[in-house]
Amino acid sequence: MSATDITSKQFDQKAAGTTATNGSPTQMAFVDGQSFPMQEGETILSFLRRYQGEDFIPTLCDAPNLKPFGSCRVCSVEVAQEANGPKKTVASCHAPISAGMHIYPHSESVKELRKNIIELVLTDHPLDCLTCEVNGNCELQDVAARVGIREVRYPAGANHLDREKDLSHPYMTSDLSKCINCYRCVRACDEVQGEFVLSMAGRGFDAYIIKGTDQTFMESDCVSCGACAQACPTSAISDIYQSKSITTTETTRTICTYCGVGCNLDVSTSNGDVVSIRAPYDAEVNEGHTCLKGRYAFKFYNHPERLTSPMIKRNGHFEEVSWDEVYDYMAERFLQYKAGFGPDSIAGISSSRCTNEENYLMQKFIRAVIGTNNIDGCARVCHSPTALGMQRTFGTGAATNSIADLQYADCAMIIGANPTDAHPVTGARFKQFAIDSSKVTIVIDPRRTEIARYADYHLALRPGTNVAVLNMMMYYIIREGLADEEFIAARTEGFDEYKSELLGIDIDQMEAVSGVDRDLVRRAAIAYATAPNAMSFHGLGVTEHFQGTFAVMQIADLALLTGNIGRPGVGVNPLRGQNNVQGSADMGVQPHQGAGYLDVTDATINSKYSEFYGVQVPKEIGYKIPEMFDAALAGKLKAIWIIGEDVVQTDPNTQKVIRALEATDFVVVQELFMTETAKYADVILPGASFLEKSGTFTNGERRVQAVRQVIEPLPGTKPDGQIIIDMMNRMGYAQPDYTPDGMLTEISQIVPFFAGIKWEELGINGKQWPVHPDGTDTKILHQTEFKRGRGKFEFHAFEESQELLDHARDYPYILTTNRELEHYNCGTMTRRTDNEKILSSDYLMIHPDDAAKHSINEGDMVCIESARGKVDVNARITDEVNPGILSTTFHFPDIMVNMITSDIHDSEALCPEYKVVAVRIRKSKGKFKAQQAL
Amino acid sequence: MSHNLSELSGRKGLTDNLFTRLGELAIKDGTPSVEELEKLAHEFLIGSANTYGAITFYDFLKPENRDKKIYVCNGTACLCAGSQESLIENLNHHFQADEIGHMTCLGRCHENHAFHYDGRNYSGPAVAENLEGLFSGNGINGDDKYRIKSSGTQILTSPFPGIEDYYKPLLTALERKPEVLLEEIKTSGVRGRGGAGFPLGLKLEFCRNESSDIKFIICNADEGDPGAYSDRYLLELQPHSVLFGMLTAGYVTGAKHGVLYIRAEYPDSIAICKNAIDELREKGLMGKGIGGTNFDFDVKVISAKGSYICGEETALINSIEGQRPEVRIRPPYPAQQGLFNKPTIVNNVETLATLHYIISNGGAAWKAIGTSKSSGTKLICLDSFFKHPGLYEVEMGTPLKTVVDDLGGGFKRPVKALQIGGPLGGLVPVWKISDLTIDFESFAENGFLLGHASVVSIPEDFPILRFIEHLFEFAAYESCGKCFPCRLGTKRGQELAAKALESDYKIDKKLLTDLLTTLEEGSLCAHGGGIPLPIRNALQHFESELSVYLEDKL
Repeated sequence: MSATDITSKQFDQKAAGTTATNGSPTQMAFVDGQSFPMQEGETILSFLRRYQGEDFIPTLCDAPNLKPFGSCRVCSVEVAQEANGPKKTVASCHAPISAGMHIYPHSESVKELRKNIIELVLTDHPLDCLTCEVNGNCELQDVAARVGIREVRYPAGANHLDREKDLSHPYMTSDLSKCINCYRCVRACDEVQGEFVLSMAGRGFDAYIIKGTDQTFMESDCVSCGACAQACPTSAISDIYQSKSITTTETTRTICTYCGVGCNLDVSTSNGDVVSIRAPYDAEVNEGHTCLKGRYAFKFYNHPERLTSPMIKRNGHFEEVSWDEVYDYMAERFLQYKAGFGPDSIAGISSSRCTNEENYLMQKFIRAVIGTNNIDGCARVCHSPTALGMQRTFGTGAATNSIADLQYADCAMIIGANPTDAHPVTGARFKQFAIDSSKVTIVIDPRRTEIARYADYHLALRPGTNVAVLNMMMYYIIREGLADEEFIAARTEGFDEYKSELLGIDIDQMEAVSGVDRDLVRRAAIAYATAPNAMSFHGLGVTEHFQGTFAVMQIADLALLTGNIGRPGVGVNPLRGQNNVQGSADMGVQPHQGAGYLDVTDATINSKYSEFYGVQVPKEIGYKIPEMFDAALAGKLKAIWIIGEDVVQTDPNTQKVIRALEATDFVVVQELFMTETAKYADVILPGASFLEKSGTFTNGERRVQAVRQVIEPLPGTKPDGQIIIDMMNRMGYAQPDYTPDGMLTEISQIVPFFAGIKWEELGINGKQWPVHPDGTDTKILHQTEFKRGRGKFEFHAFEESQELLDHARDYPYILTTNRELEHYNCGTMTRRTDNEKILSSDYLMIHPDDAAKHSINEGDMVCIESARGKVDVNARITDEVNPGILSTTFHFPDIMVNMITSDIHDSEALCPEYKVVAVRIRKSKGKFKAQQAL
Repeated sequence: MSHNLSELSGRKGLTDNLFTRLGELAIKDGTPSVEELEKLAHEFLIGSANTYGAITFYDFLKPENRDKKIYVCNGTACLCAGSQESLIENLNHHFQADEIGHMTCLGRCHENHAFHYDGRNYSGPAVAENLEGLFSGNGINGDDKYRIKSSGTQILTSPFPGIEDYYKPLLTALERKPEVLLEEIKTSGVRGRGGAGFPLGLKLEFCRNESSDIKFIICNADEGDPGAYSDRYLLELQPHSVLFGMLTAGYVTGAKHGVLYIRAEYPDSIAICKNAIDELREKGLMGKGIGGTNFDFDVKVISAKGSYICGEETALINSIEGQRPEVRIRPPYPAQQGLFNKPTIVNNVETLATLHYIISNGGAAWKAIGTSKSSGTKLICLDSFFKHPGLYEVEMGTPLKTVVDDLGGGFKRPVKALQIGGPLGGLVPVWKISDLTIDFESFAENGFLLGHASVVSIPEDFPILRFIEHLFEFAAYESCGKCFPCRLGTKRGQELAAKALESDYKIDKKLLTDLLTTLEEGSLCAHGGGIPLPIRNALQHFESELSVYLEDKL
């Protein structure tokens, strides 16, 4: 069945866990003479498991997230085409069932066969179970016990027990003397992660697992996702946490703290310490997979540098104080500014790292307790143009579909996103998609990212020209007669005007500014438009531009133009950056919309909020983050409370941010670590990590998932929500203590699309909003109508960024910014884990031609200078970037790339333009010390 | 096997074929360098573990092949003839021990003493005893001569009439509908000559019924069964019979692409087939618009790199894709999802060669030859123990005794058993010869396997346990290593036999039969599943000889 044949109805059936019967009469197969309904095309193993339980048939090479492979043969059963007919032995994992088949799953001959196979396995396996790390949790041990091996009858022969362990890597380990050659690791690396780091070398009895060209884990291209270690049935491939051992006392299911994919994690603890993390197979989001950040980078939680006491800066030094003292101090100062300069002299920046409940509380504190709409969050610097742009076109600023919809898509367009680094689990799915020759993958990105290498079309545009390329695509779609007229007529408005403006664009000019061959654009456009189901995905390469919001709207228009909205396998799907950046905006962490995206300036809504919060809340739109800094520099902002965001390292134009913080009288920073921003604080509040609290995170698919407390907060710290509540009470606003269910109940009463959400009903896979009062959730938005009624076409022509208009002549290179897999954002957490041993510095990507022009060799220090300042970074010479384009990361504070980024912002949402910086470069003699310049 | 790797290799497909590229990288040093493998992996987006993993599988690509200068045939026929030891002894005067490799088998079973040197094969006692002459360049060209004879209807051994005449039936066939030709093939009842005996017509029909723009016809010319040189005969002396068959199969199934995957052990076959293809292209009988019709078909010759398991169809497909040639699970069958995940026909050389007669004379004409269930003729190779070694074409149903005595002229020295049909074929004691006729049914009913019907003689003085050890050793050496029973079982079987031969160790009969049953029932493919057959034959027919090595442990 091709993807195109899958109807929405089947999608719903699948989603509901029911089975499509295709209307044909149920056919039966027999297990030891007893009949059961079978499904066409299923394997005997899946049939047996459905009726007899997961563990009914012993297996070794089978794994829940891998395709049937047929190497161990332990799952063999006897079958006959009729009762008492001639029997034959088949491997149930890959033999298909057929109507009327009789299966004898545990016949004497099958039992003998299994025993004899395991006996052979044990002739080449160490018999040291009692001292093995997986003793008690080893699949070979289990199966051997089940089949009843009592002795190995073969005389001692050749074996591989002397294979050396590989302990080269910070996380991954191998001990191939324990390997049973089931290929599960090789297949996980291929079918799950798509990395192809593992294979087998040699053949027959001496075949053995290799990493790369028979290298160590550290030497190989391993991305440390740990899929192989999780897949391995023994301890042949494992990790330093010995994640498969069962010495833990408890396992808690929670949600990853890193990116917006929202992987479910099973966190094992022992005596209150986290010992390891595994990915549950029944998680819809990650299906048994996760990345090295989710799986291994958790050691920051009890790092010695964790802040463990509230502190007040006195005479230039931080002094540890009690919570009581700090609350009193803060309350006094806030009340003082509020009385002296009005509530608008105070602002809050909430954190997308925190839970929905905590974000709700922070905006409530700012609005109801302080009395201002000066609340914003990191979405401002990432996906604010997405929220705004999609709201303008569709009415709702969130992903229309789910990542799992890729299975129904025929075409995926990935624009301005590097998912294999920034959203690794989604990136891995994209890779599987891109490899499949029956699917079409379009990548629009200045860099030849990993996913671009696998794509059918890579439009390597010049940074800042998304609008030009997207307009070209739509131009060709209309010209080729591929617009979905029916959809346009039924579901949209403004098309005629849009069309006439669009057809007026100057293709020669657009081709010239974007640098992308018009025929390539045309072919990609046709591929997108002719695919039965096309999905688009975008990241910060779309939003962090002067024309960010307009580009998002063009992506949405592209979906409208081709009717790719409102069913499985289509839609517009932003890849949200932080774990809860979707949730923070949902909860009202923005100055113009309160909890649930309701307009703060609307009188009815204002009275609704005022009534609900029990106090009059303000009606005027507050400051966005860049406006907060401007206000501070203008002397209008007196106090700011920043939770979990390192604005100094991550916001553009660092020096300006620092000046703004210095100009603010009273800076409160609530953090896990002494960040670059925390250094400028007057008060520091030690918050708690995701492992230490409960609540909910909302991933990029609008999926609200339960974050469950794994361990007690580190002594001296408090969950961030409780800190806010303590302050609310201290300032005279009665708010009950923090509980996830209590908070969710409150939120469900004010946020319309949370109406039916209940903590105890979130289950293991959460719910996708809108959640209706009866608790049903929503997989796909805009199925029959848009939130705003009709989808709205709105043409915007390409405009050059002011940064280039002003500086391109003196600064001829364009620097753009990117992420590396190993680190998360400014690295506050990941730099305090062993990820730092895998990648320990930022570097500059530079094309070989440009490097040659400046006599720059691999690893040389390069001085990058913009109109704001200069930084030194090590060069990595690569054709991943085009000539004239440079790219770097800002994971490490030693470089402080934001010293040179501009303060140009998206014209609509004020998201900073991190992605286009006019720079010049030269080979640097010594390292320019960013820290000294601060 | 990896679905993803098939897709990625398929992006460049046959035009820029990954396996061919791997082979090219080994030309200089006998094995590709790690740097080159990394570059190739990057180019194909497949990870260096996969290029490295693939080359370590093959005898002629693996790092151990570096600087090998000469290869001695270690096939069963040369082993039983006892020619290997003396040959190696002679070679030791000319080469370092690590410069001497081995190949299995060069298809010179009719005269033995076979070896491969500088891209050519040599055999026979005359050459082996005059190595100085060869290495000093005295013009020895290595060509061999063997008797070629037919005892009934002459089909596969008919003299070649020239391209024009030979391909006339193809041009006529192209005027008929593919489904009509398919019916002829089905009518003929012709069954695969590779061992399994699957009806060719049915296989072609399965592939024809798959809807796909791209389909492939693969000729499996890497059936390296020691003792068999019938493929070599067809490839070198009747190459057009094979190409005609591929063209016909392409027309019938709707495939436009053919792969002729030929053993590296047969360098002449590769050169001759390439020439034959060039000739056809020149004459408009291969390529675009064949014979002025809109039928397009072309054949790419791919040189194998030394792995017996590549004779297994799914391993062969993986090999062409540049993957490790490990056996795939079925379903999906190659006819549904084969090369580059596209519908694919894999047939052996002799099977495809039958199509010329069937297309020219009609299915009924072929069906009329042989027995009711085994139609047509069959090629048989006799080894050097026969008075008249050589290649014989007989009608199916011909008594084995006729072949041995009348065609082969009986044995030169006492023989106690024949292994017929390759290392996975049965072990026929000489006293069973008169019970058998050359057809699938007769062999199966008597507990043997016709296979491709090559005959290797085991002399009276050759210990049967030593032969069993050889079979296990061969099976273990050539096991792909994917399934547990074959990877471990063949090795343990070899060790049991060796230990009993070398010491007073007695093999536990129950353990041995458990091992054989595990291999038969548990193995993923016919390699592990087939090796027990000759061993069970040996246990049954040579019980008294073997009894001293066996015991009943309680």
